[in-house]
Amino acid sequence: MNSRRVVTVLSAIAVVLLSSLSVGAQDFDFKRLEGKIKDYTLVIDLKIEVSFGMHSTEQSERMMGTLVSDDGLVIFNGAPLSSDAAISTFAGVTVKTSPSKIELTDLNGKTYEGEFIGVDRFTKIGFLKIKDYDGDLKPITFVESKAFVVGDWLALYMLLPEFVTPSVGADVGMISTVVTSPEFFPLTVGFNSLQVTSVLYNHDLQPVGVLGSLLDPSEAATDQSGMIESFQQFGIPLLGVVTSSRLQKMIADPPKQGEADRGWMGITLQALTKELADFWHLSITSGIIVNDIVAGSPAEEGGLKTGDIIYEVNGEPVEVDKDEEIPIFQRNISELGPGASVELAVKRPTDSGFEDMRLLITLAEAPMTATDAAEYESKKLEFKVRNMVFGDYMINRLDPQTFKGVVVSEIKPGGLADIGGLQLGDIIQSLDNQPIGSIEDAEAVLSKMDELRPDEAVFFVWRNNKTLFVNVKIDWE
Amino acid sequence: MSKTILALFLFCAAALSAQPGHETHQQKIYDARDKVLPALVHIQPVIKNYRTGELEKQAVVGSGVIFHPEGYVVTNYHVAGKAERILCTLENREIVQAVYIGGDPLTDISVIKLDLSKYNGKLAVAEFGNSDSVQVGEYVLAMGSPLSLSRSVSAGVISTRDRYFSGEDRLPSGERTGRYNLWIQTDAAINPGNSGGPLVDLDGRIIGINSRANLFANNLGFAIPINIVKEVTAAILKDGKVTRSWIGLHCQALQELETYFGAGDNNGVLISSIDPGSPAEEVFLKAGDIILELNDKPVSARFVEELPAFYSMIAKTKPGDEIKLKVLRNDEIFNFKVKTRELGDLQGEDFECKGWGFTIKDITRQMMIESQLDDTIGVYVVGVKMGGAAADGGLRRGDVVTKINNSATPSLADFTALYQKLHDEKAEKVLLTVARSGGTRFVFLNIDNDEGDSPNE
Repeated sequence: MNSRRVVTVLSAIAVVLLSSLSVGAQDFDFKRLEGKIKDYTLVIDLKIEVSFGMHSTEQSERMMGTLVSDDGLVIFNGAPLSSDAAISTFAGVTVKTSPSKIELTDLNGKTYEGEFIGVDRFTKIGFLKIKDYDGDLKPITFVESKAFVVGDWLALYMLLPEFVTPSVGADVGMISTVVTSPEFFPLTVGFNSLQVTSVLYNHDLQPVGVLGSLLDPSEAATDQSGMIESFQQFGIPLLGVVTSSRLQKMIADPPKQGEADRGWMGITLQALTKELADFWHLSITSGIIVNDIVAGSPAEEGGLKTGDIIYEVNGEPVEVDKDEEIPIFQRNISELGPGASVELAVKRPTDSGFEDMRLLITLAEAPMTATDAAEYESKKLEFKVRNMVFGDYMINRLDPQTFKGVVVSEIKPGGLADIGGLQLGDIIQSLDNQPIGSIEDAEAVLSKMDELRPDEAVFFVWRNNKTLFVNVKIDWE
Repeated sequence: MSKTILALFLFCAAALSAQPGHETHQQKIYDARDKVLPALVHIQPVIKNYRTGELEKQAVVGSGVIFHPEGYVVTNYHVAGKAERILCTLENREIVQAVYIGGDPLTDISVIKLDLSKYNGKLAVAEFGNSDSVQVGEYVLAMGSPLSLSRSVSAGVISTRDRYFSGEDRLPSGERTGRYNLWIQTDAAINPGNSGGPLVDLDGRIIGINSRANLFANNLGFAIPINIVKEVTAAILKDGKVTRSWIGLHCQALQELETYFGAGDNNGVLISSIDPGSPAEEVFLKAGDIILELNDKPVSARFVEELPAFYSMIAKTKPGDEIKLKVLRNDEIFNFKVKTRELGDLQGEDFECKGWGFTIKDITRQMMIESQLDDTIGVYVVGVKMGGAAADGGLRRGDVVTKINNSATPSLADFTALYQKLHDEKAEKVLLTVARSGGTRFVFLNIDNDEGDSPNE
């Protein structure tokens, strides 16, 4: 083992000295590796339905998948289907993507049908399941690597374009540095972003993880509601290893589309910077300051108060001293999942300083996001509404106890609702004098119009902090 | 050959235009010009801008007209509102100083007074006409300083006399404007710099104050009708401001909604929204109510153009007085009595926290409603200077500062007193407590007291 590493390092140096081509790859037994990957590698042909406003088209996407469990679970690059890609607003029109057909082919040519499960919001690793899986293939078993060392070489197999045979080819890359903050992440050079989610092998041909990219936490979701997603991750992606331990956690409990599996405390927060800690003469130099507590949330029930400083979670110090690091804290809480008990060590401001206390909080499910909210489409009026979510109340500063409505989520340009003056984002509170609190209410009134054929529909909506009436004229010809 | 014909034709045209009727029209334009042009003022105020987190002074150019023998000049609020060092050039090219007397952002009108102590020339005064009697198609002249070119006259006709703009438009200084007036639209050329200048009829009377134009169009200019200006300037000369009543109603045109609300004879004013905490809310008026009478007088706003007049009826009530409203709700008639309150300032007074890198303003009730704040306690952050202490500490525009260190700052006066003390002590570490979207945040200021204090200030 040791001698092997020496050999690797030496050969790497030799290669650097002699040539910059096909580096250090001499050590990989690619013949053997190719035999191994046949057991669990699949080519996925995805049909993705893309709806833009109220028009839709179908797109084809081809990517590589890896079987990870005995019951047919497959991982792939889920970026095109992740929740922020699945629904986004572009020039005021909502763009949505959803998989409509999944076909898989193993490297021996056998085909299967797949079913989409979901995408992990942080790594963008997608999960699908082979329908009626017969156990023909042998799933991969990821190996926990003890250490990632700068200069270690890793190999992967990537999908080649359709017009060549065979369909996969090898590539190698090197660990360039091991990032520890904002999270543990061995960075690689030599790979490219088209290879994301490919399995990475060490010299012993052990699968140690998959290729992933490191997200800038300051760009990541900063709102627990998920309303404010990050649409803007430009710049050079930092590629590296999503390690085995993280993968195994996800494989054991894959993220399911539309299912709230994220833990939630219900606070807004800011980082305890070193300056603030100094100013208050605190013995700690990092933590989370609670800015606000959502009424009825686990944080409120657990006795957390505005102004409290959380400095330990389950005995582990909270190492957040910049606002940019808050998403890491939020992710950790989120990943504990609903129902998890969390012990917080807290410093609470008093008249004479700070009081130490310990609080026990049982996490709830994170509130549903706008992406996951149920929708109803009125074909006649050519618009869609969705249920209100927590984020709508937060952003519009409305009281969930008293305010009810549905949000206009799509409007077809030139359609009746558009001509009548409804706008994207309007919150409909009543329609023809019937209170509307859910898409079911909206459906009840709107679908009845098909029989009654009224010549107008009068909406009472909330827009820009005021209310108004919108009269949509209906032409039944 | 063809040249001869063309020359002949031009000659004919010249001969035609010399006929008596045309001569009269041209003469009328000269007469109108002579009545107003001498009273025209080219205004160069220095206005204050707080939006970047520090006080920035900006020299601008506008127009105005003398309407009072003591040297009062009417112009736009967006030209001279809260301005200092106002320099005026009269039509005879003499330069005099002026001081700001008062203004009204809601109608975009302000009044300044010329300092005539060192001026020995003649002072021309222009006359206000009657904007209610103007007609579409009537000839008008616009006078002012388009693109700073002073003493310019342009001509056109009145294109529309009742143009409506929603009262949600904002002046550069941030105030809402236009809720209480319609606009006279004209095709007389109006450019930046014409702001505050007179729109004049052929009798030589001012019928409007030119205030805005669509810069992407050909000759779409808009003037505030002079009858509105007359009321506003009178109030400013008396009190320095316009006092209005407020009950917290927002209305929309009834057209196309009358069937839905059962307003059979197309009469009444439809309430669309009610401000939280307003007198209207306290007496349980609701969106969807239709006001049929106000103080026993029938009211109607079938079209948007009728809304400003209705809002003015409420505004002109004395603050504290009761308004009687006859209201149609679900086919039943109800009578309401609403005690009005003073509308008050739209925006609070500004203040620059020099050295700390941000600007603030006092929170008025109207600001509280607009920004969905819980109350008027604290001071509102107007701007945060890039690279300043506040920006580094994470302060943002729209935050409300409620505490400095451990002392509460419920009003601007409390804040400035504490600020001044700490600023004089050259405090280096200051903790602000701020309210942001319902939560409480802490902003730490690491102040560099040597920065930005130039020796001659």
